Amino acid sequence: MAERARAELSVEDEARFERDALPLLDSLYGGALRMTRNPADAEDLVQETMLRAYRSFDRFEAGTNLKAWLFRIMTNAYINTYRKKQREPQKVSQDEVEDFDLYQELKNHDPQFSATPETIVLDQLVDTDIIEAIEDLPEQFRLAVMLSDLEGFSYAEMAEIMDVPMGTVMSRLHRGRKALQKRLWELARDRGIVRGAPKS
Amino acid sequence: MNPRCRETLAQAYLLLDGEPVPEAERREVQAHLEACAPCYERYGIEQEVKALIARLHGCTTCPEQLRVRIVQLLHFEH
Repeated sequence: MAERARAELSVEDEARFERDALPLLDSLYGGALRMTRNPADAEDLVQETMLRAYRSFDRFEAGTNLKAWLFRIMTNAYINTYRKKQREPQKVSQDEVEDFDLYQELKNHDPQFSATPETIVLDQLVDTDIIEAIEDLPEQFRLAVMLSDLEGFSYAEMAEIMDVPMGTVMSRLHRGRKALQKRLWELARDRGIVRGAPKS
Repeated sequence: MNPRCRETLAQAYLLLDGEPVPEAERREVQAHLEACAPCYERYGIEQEVKALIARLHGCTTCPEQLRVRIVQLLHFEH
Protein backbone atom coordinates (compact mmCIF):
# COMPACT_ATOMS: atom_id res chain seq x y z
CA MET A 1 0.00 0.00 0.00
CA ALA A 2 2.96 2.34 0.48
CA GLU A 3 3.33 4.44 -2.66
CA ARG A 4 6.88 5.05 -3.68
CA ALA A 5 7.63 8.75 -3.52
CA ARG A 6 8.50 10.06 -6.94
CA ALA A 7 11.43 11.97 -5.57
CA GLU A 8 13.16 11.57 -2.26
CA LEU A 9 13.04 14.62 -0.08
CA SER A 10 16.38 16.24 0.48
CA VAL A 11 17.68 16.25 4.03
CA GLU A 12 16.99 19.99 4.21
CA ASP A 13 13.40 19.55 3.00
CA GLU A 14 12.80 16.79 5.50
CA ALA A 15 14.06 18.96 8.33
CA ARG A 16 12.04 21.90 7.03
CA PHE A 17 8.88 19.78 6.93
CA GLU A 18 9.30 18.62 10.50
CA ARG A 19 10.12 22.10 11.67
CA ASP A 20 7.29 23.90 9.84
CA ALA A 21 4.50 21.38 9.25
CA LEU A 22 4.36 19.46 12.51
CA PRO A 23 3.45 22.54 14.59
CA LEU A 24 0.36 22.89 12.38
CA LEU A 25 -1.05 19.56 13.51
CA ASP A 26 -3.32 21.17 16.09
CA SER A 27 -4.90 23.39 13.45
CA LEU A 28 -5.16 20.54 10.99
CA TYR A 29 -6.75 18.24 13.50
CA GLY A 30 -9.26 20.93 14.48
CA GLY A 31 -10.12 21.47 10.83
CA ALA A 32 -10.41 17.74 10.25
CA LEU A 33 -12.78 17.40 13.20
CA ARG A 34 -15.04 20.13 11.83
CA MET A 35 -14.97 18.49 8.40
CA THR A 36 -15.59 14.88 9.40
CA ARG A 37 -17.40 15.52 12.71
CA ASN A 38 -15.90 12.26 13.91
CA PRO A 39 -12.60 11.89 15.83
CA ALA A 40 -11.61 8.58 14.25
CA ASP A 41 -12.11 9.88 10.70
CA ALA A 42 -10.41 13.14 11.67
CA GLU A 43 -7.30 11.25 12.77
CA ASP A 44 -7.21 9.25 9.54
CA LEU A 45 -7.71 12.41 7.52
CA VAL A 46 -4.87 14.24 9.24
CA GLN A 47 -2.57 11.25 8.85
CA GLU A 48 -3.37 10.94 5.16
CA THR A 49 -2.90 14.67 4.70
CA MET A 50 0.52 14.69 6.31
CA LEU A 51 1.66 11.74 4.23
CA ARG A 52 0.50 13.33 0.99
CA ALA A 53 2.06 16.62 1.99
CA TYR A 54 5.36 15.00 2.88
CA ARG A 55 5.51 13.16 -0.42
CA SER A 56 4.88 16.31 -2.43
CA PHE A 57 6.78 18.73 -0.23
CA ASP A 58 9.44 19.24 -2.88
CA ARG A 59 6.66 20.95 -4.85
CA PHE A 60 5.79 23.35 -2.04
CA GLU A 61 7.06 26.84 -2.78
CA ALA A 62 9.05 28.02 0.23
CA GLY A 63 7.84 31.34 1.60
CA THR A 64 4.23 30.76 0.59
CA ASN A 65 1.50 29.91 3.06
CA LEU A 66 2.18 26.39 4.32
CA LYS A 67 -0.99 26.21 6.37
CA ALA A 68 -3.10 27.04 3.32
CA TRP A 69 -1.20 24.43 1.29
CA LEU A 70 -1.82 21.77 3.92
CA PHE A 71 -5.50 22.68 4.23
CA ARG A 72 -5.79 22.42 0.45
CA ILE A 73 -4.40 18.91 0.55
CA MET A 74 -6.67 18.04 3.44
CA THR A 75 -9.79 19.42 1.77
CA ASN A 76 -9.01 17.41 -1.36
CA ALA A 77 -8.42 14.29 0.68
CA TYR A 78 -11.67 14.89 2.53
CA ILE A 79 -13.67 15.31 -0.68
CA ASN A 80 -12.12 12.25 -2.29
CA THR A 81 -12.17 9.88 0.63
CA TYR A 82 -14.45 10.84 3.48
CA ARG A 83 -17.21 12.92 2.07
CA LYS A 84 -19.08 9.92 0.67
CA LYS A 85 -19.27 8.42 4.15
CA GLN A 86 -20.63 11.56 5.73
CA ARG A 87 -24.24 11.98 6.56
CA GLU A 88 -25.39 15.50 5.72
CA PRO A 89 -26.72 17.17 8.85
CA GLN A 90 -30.44 17.79 8.58
CA LYS A 91 -30.75 20.56 11.09
CA VAL A 92 -30.11 23.48 8.77
CA SER A 93 -31.64 23.72 5.32
CA GLN A 94 -29.65 25.71 2.80
CA ASP A 95 -32.81 27.40 1.57
CA GLU A 96 -34.51 28.57 4.77
CA VAL A 97 -31.47 30.54 5.77
CA GLU A 98 -32.24 33.59 3.65
CA ASP A 99 -35.14 34.71 5.86
CA PHE A 100 -33.33 34.58 9.16
CA ASP A 101 -32.39 37.96 10.59
CA LEU A 102 -30.44 37.88 13.83
CA TYR A 103 -30.69 41.64 14.22
CA GLN A 104 -34.48 41.39 14.20
CA GLU A 105 -34.47 38.45 16.62
CA LEU A 106 -32.24 40.34 19.03
CA LYS A 107 -34.51 43.39 18.88
CA ASN A 108 -37.58 41.22 19.47
CA HIS A 109 -35.84 39.55 22.35
CA ASP A 110 -34.96 42.84 23.98
CA PRO A 111 -36.48 46.10 22.68
CA GLN A 112 -33.70 48.02 24.45
CA PHE A 113 -31.17 46.13 22.43
CA SER A 114 -28.26 48.01 21.00
CA ALA A 115 -25.22 46.23 19.73
CA THR A 116 -22.77 46.62 22.54
CA PRO A 117 -20.68 43.54 23.36
CA GLU A 118 -22.29 43.00 26.75
CA THR A 119 -25.74 42.60 25.30
CA ILE A 120 -25.35 40.00 22.61
CA VAL A 121 -26.88 37.05 24.39
CA LEU A 122 -25.26 34.46 22.16
CA ASP A 123 -21.98 34.71 24.01
CA GLN A 124 -23.67 32.92 26.88
CA LEU A 125 -23.43 29.80 24.78
CA VAL A 126 -20.63 27.46 25.81
CA ASP A 127 -17.90 26.33 23.43
CA THR A 128 -19.43 22.90 22.88
CA ASP A 129 -22.67 24.55 21.78
CA ILE A 130 -20.86 26.73 19.28
CA ILE A 131 -19.03 23.70 17.92
CA GLU A 132 -22.35 21.88 17.68
CA ALA A 133 -23.83 24.77 15.72
CA ILE A 134 -20.91 24.75 13.29
CA GLU A 135 -21.11 20.99 12.88
CA ASP A 136 -24.84 21.21 12.17
CA LEU A 137 -24.17 23.30 9.08
CA PRO A 138 -24.29 21.79 5.60
CA GLU A 139 -20.81 20.95 4.42
CA GLN A 140 -20.10 23.90 2.11
CA PHE A 141 -21.23 26.40 4.73
CA ARG A 142 -19.36 24.57 7.47
CA LEU A 143 -16.14 24.58 5.47
CA ALA A 144 -16.39 28.27 4.60
CA VAL A 145 -17.09 29.34 8.18
CA MET A 146 -14.36 27.09 9.54
CA LEU A 147 -11.70 28.30 7.12
CA SER A 148 -12.56 31.97 7.57
CA ASP A 149 -13.59 32.36 11.18
CA LEU A 150 -11.73 29.52 12.88
CA GLU A 151 -8.55 29.45 10.84
CA GLY A 152 -8.37 33.03 9.62
CA PHE A 153 -7.74 32.35 5.93
CA SER A 154 -8.27 35.16 3.44
CA TYR A 155 -10.84 34.88 0.64
CA ALA A 156 -8.05 34.23 -1.85
CA GLU A 157 -6.61 31.45 0.28
CA MET A 158 -10.06 29.97 0.75
CA ALA A 159 -10.61 30.00 -3.02
CA GLU A 160 -7.40 27.96 -3.38
CA ILE A 161 -8.29 25.58 -0.59
CA MET A 162 -11.86 24.95 -1.72
CA ASP A 163 -10.95 25.16 -5.41
CA VAL A 164 -13.77 27.57 -6.23
CA PRO A 165 -13.90 31.17 -7.49
CA MET A 166 -13.68 33.96 -4.95
CA GLY A 167 -17.30 34.94 -5.61
CA THR A 168 -18.34 31.46 -4.51
CA VAL A 169 -16.23 31.78 -1.37
CA MET A 170 -17.96 35.02 -0.46
CA SER A 171 -21.41 33.64 -1.17
CA ARG A 172 -20.84 30.49 0.88
CA LEU A 173 -19.35 32.49 3.71
CA HIS A 174 -22.16 35.02 3.78
CA ARG A 175 -24.87 32.37 3.67
CA GLY A 176 -22.92 30.09 5.96
CA ARG A 177 -22.72 32.78 8.61
CA LYS A 178 -26.43 33.44 8.31
CA ALA A 179 -27.13 29.74 8.71
CA LEU A 180 -24.82 29.66 11.68
CA GLN A 181 -26.54 32.63 13.29
CA LYS A 182 -29.85 30.90 12.87
CA ARG A 183 -28.52 27.71 14.41
CA LEU A 184 -26.90 29.60 17.30
CA TRP A 185 -30.20 31.34 17.97
CA GLU A 186 -32.04 28.00 18.02
CA LEU A 187 -29.50 26.57 20.43
CA ALA A 188 -29.82 29.65 22.62
CA ARG A 189 -33.53 28.99 22.72
CA ASP A 190 -33.01 25.30 23.52
CA ARG A 191 -30.69 26.24 26.37
CA GLY A 192 -33.14 28.76 27.77
CA ILE A 193 -30.82 31.67 27.10
CA VAL A 194 -33.55 33.30 25.04
CA ARG A 195 -37.29 32.78 25.30
CA GLY A 196 -39.28 30.71 22.88
CA ALA A 197 -40.35 27.12 22.39
CA PRO A 198 -37.30 24.92 21.87
CA LYS A 199 -37.22 23.08 18.57
CA SER A 200 -37.88 19.38 19.07
CA MET B 1 -33.58 47.22 3.93
CA ASN B 2 -32.86 50.05 1.51
CA PRO B 3 -30.26 49.57 -1.26
CA ARG B 4 -27.77 52.00 0.28
CA CYS B 5 -27.75 50.03 3.53
CA ARG B 6 -27.55 46.74 1.70
CA GLU B 7 -24.56 47.96 -0.34
CA THR B 8 -22.80 49.35 2.70
CA LEU B 9 -23.18 46.13 4.65
CA ALA B 10 -21.82 44.13 1.71
CA GLN B 11 -18.75 46.37 1.70
CA ALA B 12 -18.52 46.23 5.47
CA TYR B 13 -18.27 42.46 5.17
CA LEU B 14 -14.97 42.90 3.37
CA LEU B 15 -13.70 45.13 6.16
CA LEU B 16 -14.86 42.59 8.73
CA ASP B 17 -12.75 39.93 7.03
CA GLY B 18 -9.69 42.11 6.55
CA GLU B 19 -10.00 42.03 2.78
CA PRO B 20 -8.49 44.86 0.71
CA VAL B 21 -10.88 47.79 0.31
CA PRO B 22 -9.95 51.06 -1.45
CA GLU B 23 -9.52 53.94 0.99
CA ALA B 24 -12.36 56.01 -0.52
CA GLU B 25 -14.83 53.14 -0.13
CA ARG B 26 -13.60 52.43 3.37
CA ARG B 27 -14.34 56.02 4.37
CA GLU B 28 -17.79 55.87 2.77
CA VAL B 29 -18.62 52.69 4.68
CA GLN B 30 -17.45 54.17 7.97
CA ALA B 31 -19.41 57.36 7.36
CA HIS B 32 -22.59 55.42 6.69
CA LEU B 33 -22.12 53.21 9.76
CA GLU B 34 -21.68 56.30 11.91
CA ALA B 35 -24.85 57.86 10.51
CA CYS B 36 -27.13 54.84 10.33
CA ALA B 37 -27.94 53.14 13.63
CA PRO B 38 -29.45 49.92 12.23
CA CYS B 39 -26.42 49.36 9.97
CA TYR B 40 -24.08 50.12 12.82
CA GLU B 41 -25.87 47.59 14.97
CA ARG B 42 -26.01 44.96 12.24
CA TYR B 43 -22.30 45.32 11.62
CA GLY B 44 -21.67 45.07 15.35
CA ILE B 45 -23.58 41.80 15.42
CA GLU B 46 -21.49 40.38 12.59
CA GLN B 47 -18.35 41.35 14.50
CA GLU B 48 -19.65 39.75 17.68
CA VAL B 49 -20.62 36.47 16.05
CA LYS B 50 -17.30 36.29 14.25
CA ALA B 51 -15.48 36.90 17.54
CA LEU B 52 -17.61 34.22 19.16
CA ILE B 53 -16.42 31.65 16.62
CA ALA B 54 -12.85 32.89 16.78
CA ARG B 55 -12.93 32.16 20.50
CA LEU B 56 -12.72 28.50 19.53
CA HIS B 57 -9.48 28.91 17.61
CA GLY B 58 -6.77 26.83 19.16
CA CYS B 59 -9.21 24.96 21.38
CA THR B 60 -8.38 21.67 19.72
CA THR B 61 -5.16 19.80 20.31
CA CYS B 62 -3.91 17.02 18.10
CA PRO B 63 -4.05 13.79 20.11
CA GLU B 64 -0.58 12.81 21.23
CA GLN B 65 -0.82 9.30 19.79
CA LEU B 66 -1.67 10.71 16.40
CA ARG B 67 1.29 13.06 16.51
CA VAL B 68 3.60 10.21 17.46
CA ARG B 69 2.19 7.95 14.74
CA ILE B 70 2.64 10.63 12.10
CA VAL B 71 6.25 11.29 13.08
CA GLN B 72 6.94 7.57 12.90
CA LEU B 73 5.29 7.26 9.49
CA LEU B 74 7.29 10.16 8.13
CA HIS B 75 10.53 8.61 9.31
CA PHE B 76 9.47 5.34 7.75
CA GLU B 77 8.89 7.20 4.45
CA HIS B 78 12.55 8.04 4.38
